[in-house]
Amino acid sequence: MFSEFLTQNLQEFWQLTGFYNATWEHLVMLLVGLFFIWLAIKKNFEPMLLVPIGFGILIGNVPFNTTAGLEIGIYEEGSVLNILYNGVSAGWYPPLIFLGIGAMTDFSALIANPKLMLIGAAAQFGIFGAYMVALLLGFAPDQAGAIAIIGGADGPTAIFLSSKLAPNLMGAIAVSAYSYMALVPVIQPPLMRLLTTRHERVIKMKPARAVSQNEKIIFPIVGMILTCFVVPSGLPLLGMLFFGNLLRECGVTNRLAKTASNALTDIVTILLGMTVGASTQASEFLTSETIRIFLLGFMAFVIASASGVLFVKLFNLFLPKSKKINPLIGNAGVSAVPMSARISNNLGLEYDPSNYLLMHAMGPNVAGVIGSAVAAGVLLGFLA
Amino acid sequence: MNKRLLTLLLVTLTFAGTICAQGRRGLRLNEVMIVNDSTSVVDDFGRYNAWVELFNSTFGPLEISSVFLTNDRNNNTLYPVPLGDVNTEIPARQHILFWADGEPNKGTFHTNFTFTPGEDNYIAIYDANGQTLIDEIVVPGDLKPGQSYARKADGEGGINNPDDWEVRDGSESKYITPSSNNIIKSTNNKVDAFAEHDPHGFAMAVMAMCIVFSALLVLSICFYIINRIGASISRSRKMKALADDEVEADHHKEQDSGEVIAAIAAALVEHLDAHDRESTILTINKVRRAYSPWSSKIYGLRELPNRH
Repeated sequence: MFSEFLTQNLQEFWQLTGFYNATWEHLVMLLVGLFFIWLAIKKNFEPMLLVPIGFGILIGNVPFNTTAGLEIGIYEEGSVLNILYNGVSAGWYPPLIFLGIGAMTDFSALIANPKLMLIGAAAQFGIFGAYMVALLLGFAPDQAGAIAIIGGADGPTAIFLSSKLAPNLMGAIAVSAYSYMALVPVIQPPLMRLLTTRHERVIKMKPARAVSQNEKIIFPIVGMILTCFVVPSGLPLLGMLFFGNLLRECGVTNRLAKTASNALTDIVTILLGMTVGASTQASEFLTSETIRIFLLGFMAFVIASASGVLFVKLFNLFLPKSKKINPLIGNAGVSAVPMSARISNNLGLEYDPSNYLLMHAMGPNVAGVIGSAVAAGVLLGFLA
Repeated sequence: MNKRLLTLLLVTLTFAGTICAQGRRGLRLNEVMIVNDSTSVVDDFGRYNAWVELFNSTFGPLEISSVFLTNDRNNNTLYPVPLGDVNTEIPARQHILFWADGEPNKGTFHTNFTFTPGEDNYIAIYDANGQTLIDEIVVPGDLKPGQSYARKADGEGGINNPDDWEVRDGSESKYITPSSNNIIKSTNNKVDAFAEHDPHGFAMAVMAMCIVFSALLVLSICFYIINRIGASISRSRKMKALADDEVEADHHKEQDSGEVIAAIAAALVEHLDAHDRESTILTINKVRRAYSPWSSKIYGLRELPNRH
């Protein structure tokens, strides 16, 4: 009798274990998670993001009996992971990240040379180019909009928009967006070489003028009002971005700016990365749609980078010789801050060791952040 | 003291704004049935009574206890929605049903008034002060038993505007919907419209790029103007400072010539045997470095991958 009781309980316990419930899909996803962690630790690809996402994938793909009512899965109402996931599903982690980005970002390069904002706008064509292709591939307009935002190369924006337009695709979109952001140094340089001539790559730009404190304070206030008046649906992202920047620049809230740019951003990044990773449960993630999303994301990223570079070349046709812009900063119009600006700088130095483009590239780079948030607001306004 | 007063004033104004924003102005009369002829819903007691559906048209929950329902133009406070019932909070964009059976003792959602079939019936909602009208409508007297009078779209339209309302007879296109949406939406109209009229996404791309460009162009022009104004102010300040320096220099020139200063200094040295005593203490002061983007933390967050 006792042995029967023991056997029955052990049998029930065995049925709850991961070994019993594992499928090949789980194992594939566990390998994907391990690959992300390997990329982050061994190859140093965006470790701050890929380690939490990679480990999140491991957490989200530990097999268990979903019918046992254990309340442990990320999609089970009331589970701890589900509560943490609320920041993603309800879309309030991304604005907090934007607060931190605003508190970290120096907009001086943009304020000193406002025309660079247009490069940030041009690079957003990647989003809408990918939108058209996504429609061709059979996605519905709202899904196409959520996928296309990957072209903005902005993880928080991609998560924010997909949580509103296509929550079922959010895991794939987020992982795709962060993967391509990590692969900026691999994807962009060949494209930039392809689209520029040797002569263009050595164009030297005049150093930007010094920007006064007053201008830095006015920028986030005017920037928020103007952009949000045009696209009110971008308010959560743009409002927090400019608010963070005002905390930084006003000079009287250093403590708040420090918290927003350090502790708060780190906490939200950990939670965001981990829960996004955990949301990629095999059953939701291993579909043909995911593969199409990754392909579309890659294409969006390529179009965005190319649009920025080509726009600078076009812009140069109308500028006097002394004010020509080096097209190598065009790729920075995607908002992978500051990675894409560093790519511009490194490539510039490769062709002329005295040509430092970093600060010039930071202009379109931060304009890209604003541009992608505006683009997300536009898509949300049209499709939500 | 002035600062404290100003802060107090701002806080008071903020709270006043919040109180105003929390008013029940988003509450709407949404659908009414005057004679429930057993084709519609029953109340908790299994009886077919007249009903009034209210709709929370806001995107947040709305607590409606202490608002007044009335069918008497001369008595705004006829039926106060009782306090202390958790069910009086209407979730965002949801409905609540009141039974107009004249039996308030049956519960929170049973009013103390009834309607008169065959006549125009006035219904209104007043805020807790009994003065502020939230919504009102006159239900036409020719409404037949089993028919409802409903807003064409949930919560949309003005106050007491018959154009926003319609008679519903329970047919396939005019269905009666107590406690649910007057229009059942199975799809997103905006998405459907884009799918139908812009299947290739070209219109979206053009419109969206124009908006993105306009937003950043406006910002760019704005800062170009601010740049110009800033540069002109700093130029004029510099000019003024230069002019002031010149005036001051002229003033000193008139008073103290170099020869006079040199003679005084020489006399002092001769008389006092004065000279600087050098201190042997070296002090190193900490210099606060202004922020430089070159040393910003953000550039350390995402490093270039190491190629092994």
